[in-house]
Amino acid sequence: MSNNISGVSGGSGWVMQEFNLPRWLSGLCVFLVVLVLPGCATYSLSVSQLETATANRDLDGAIKTLDELKLSGPDETLHHLNKGTLLRLKGNFAESNKHFDAAKNLMGKFNAISVTEQLASVSVNDTVKAYEGLPSEQLMVYAFEALNYVQSGDVDGAAVEARQFDVKQHLIAEKNNAKYLSGAFVRYIDSMVYEAAGERDEARIEMENAVTGYKTQNSGFPVPQGLADDLKRLNAGKPAPSEAVFILHNGLGPTLSEEIIRVVNPKPQNGSAMFSLAVPKFTRRSVPVARVILSSGDASANSEIVEDVNNIGERSLKDRLPAIIARGVARMVAKSVAVGEAKKQGGELAGFFANVATTVSERADTRSWTLLPGNILMARLPLSAGKHDLIATYYSASGNVLGTHEFKDIVVKNGRKAFVADYYMNPPAQSKAQ
Amino acid sequence: MIGKKSWALILASVAALMLSGCATEVKRVGVEEVKDLSGNWNDTDSRLVSEEMIRDSLSTGWIDRHAKKSNKVPAVIIGNIRNLSHEHINTNTFIADLERAFVNSGRVDVVASKSEREGIREERADMDLNASEASRKEMGKETGADYMLIGTINSIIDASGSEQIRFYQVDLTLVNITDNRKVWTGQKKLKKDVKDAKFR
Repeated sequence: MSNNISGVSGGSGWVMQEFNLPRWLSGLCVFLVVLVLPGCATYSLSVSQLETATANRDLDGAIKTLDELKLSGPDETLHHLNKGTLLRLKGNFAESNKHFDAAKNLMGKFNAISVTEQLASVSVNDTVKAYEGLPSEQLMVYAFEALNYVQSGDVDGAAVEARQFDVKQHLIAEKNNAKYLSGAFVRYIDSMVYEAAGERDEARIEMENAVTGYKTQNSGFPVPQGLADDLKRLNAGKPAPSEAVFILHNGLGPTLSEEIIRVVNPKPQNGSAMFSLAVPKFTRRSVPVARVILSSGDASANSEIVEDVNNIGERSLKDRLPAIIARGVARMVAKSVAVGEAKKQGGELAGFFANVATTVSERADTRSWTLLPGNILMARLPLSAGKHDLIATYYSASGNVLGTHEFKDIVVKNGRKAFVADYYMNPPAQSKAQ
Repeated sequence: MIGKKSWALILASVAALMLSGCATEVKRVGVEEVKDLSGNWNDTDSRLVSEEMIRDSLSTGWIDRHAKKSNKVPAVIIGNIRNLSHEHINTNTFIADLERAFVNSGRVDVVASKSEREGIREERADMDLNASEASRKEMGKETGADYMLIGTINSIIDASGSEQIRFYQVDLTLVNITDNRKVWTGQKKLKKDVKDAKFR
């Protein structure tokens, strides 16, 4: 005896060839789907432990948790992005860049279309697709790699990243018509890298591009004064001052949760009039630090916002949502046809199991580069050449001191920048959604 | 209609096909075999650069001019080869090839680089304490270089969609350490058309 399950074209126009499946095999398939899928908690839920350990400054624990998550196959990029971030926060810059390089390679590989994954995304859910990183995430990797290089004293290595970024950003801008993908922050960093590498013309061009990028992306904060001053100085032909540049990874970037929305069935003859569709929902998390004072002796400098990851994340999801919903509708049409056929061929029980399987398999793709900060603050403190002790003090919006971090014996060379970085996160329980 | 046995056979075949890809496969290939995988700088690019630089540096007249002037073999030290390209390129491979060609030709001496010298000096200092007098090597007998080899790797990338034109230019220069005159410049240009796969 065999069941006859046939798929018909959904909203996307694909057609599944009619085939015969023995009842024992279809039963096995449904059983496996029901058995396997309940274990697939959404990505954002499974990484909360990782975020907690990071927030508690237990970076070794966070790395262990990340390794235990075993993000591989379609999620391997996420493993490398998060591992690279943790190693960067830990100050292990060389290892961090190995993971960022691995992530970049996978992003390039997964940029090519996989027919099987495309089919699976319109028949199971979007999480079966290999994660290639959001365009904004693909750009941010270059900033972190360049910072890793300059923080380990390899300016030429950072300049390689800057040159790669320029090519990548043009490709991403060509593919996505999105103003928030100007890469202004990365260009700001890269302008400093170029100047440190002695490439003043490249630096000036990068500063001009960064200014234009900040204005174009309009993320709710002004063009950083430090950048505007750099451009003015360079145009006046003046050399770079000796200074400390402090970067703060502030809080955690947005998280995506799962939301069920109701959409109209374009083919109601194949099932109910409305579908329940799982889509990702944007959740902005509070950014703990409102400003940083970087000081050394009597000298001090205030911070500026140089990147708003939350803002970019929100606009990115808004852009992607129509395509996510269109794919979801096509998927639900296909699933409802499959359930109807299972019921017709295998009886009520087969129909019931098929229905359970399709409901359970309907998951939103909530994957994102979890450990990206909510925003990035930069403070620049001009200092004489020599060794300096720096203190970064973190203030909340209400002016309370959240914490301080001391950096001992930072060597500032004549006419050079010494880069230092830190991160600050609220424990997740206190990161209320805004 | 397909029977139970046929389904079992199909499943077994699929499993066998999937499992056959699990073992790591290693195949020895000749070092001169050209195999481009990603389009990035690779061993072939390095080899092409070293071949060109060796041929050019040993055939131009700077060695003879030096010998005629000073009646000595010129001594070269490897300086900084700056990577100004879009990729993290290991320059040591073709520089080592060039060093080897200089030394083996018998026409050019190569002196140890700054980092190499440190280790040798440590060893010499250690000899002062521990080696026999007959075998001990004296300080202050090092050969000073006449020329320093410096250079750059530059690249230009023109990319659109899934296609990239990658252009690399490697420039090496021998500079007379006494008077800063450039006695030899070598250049190698490489161009690649890289098309990324649209499907996987």
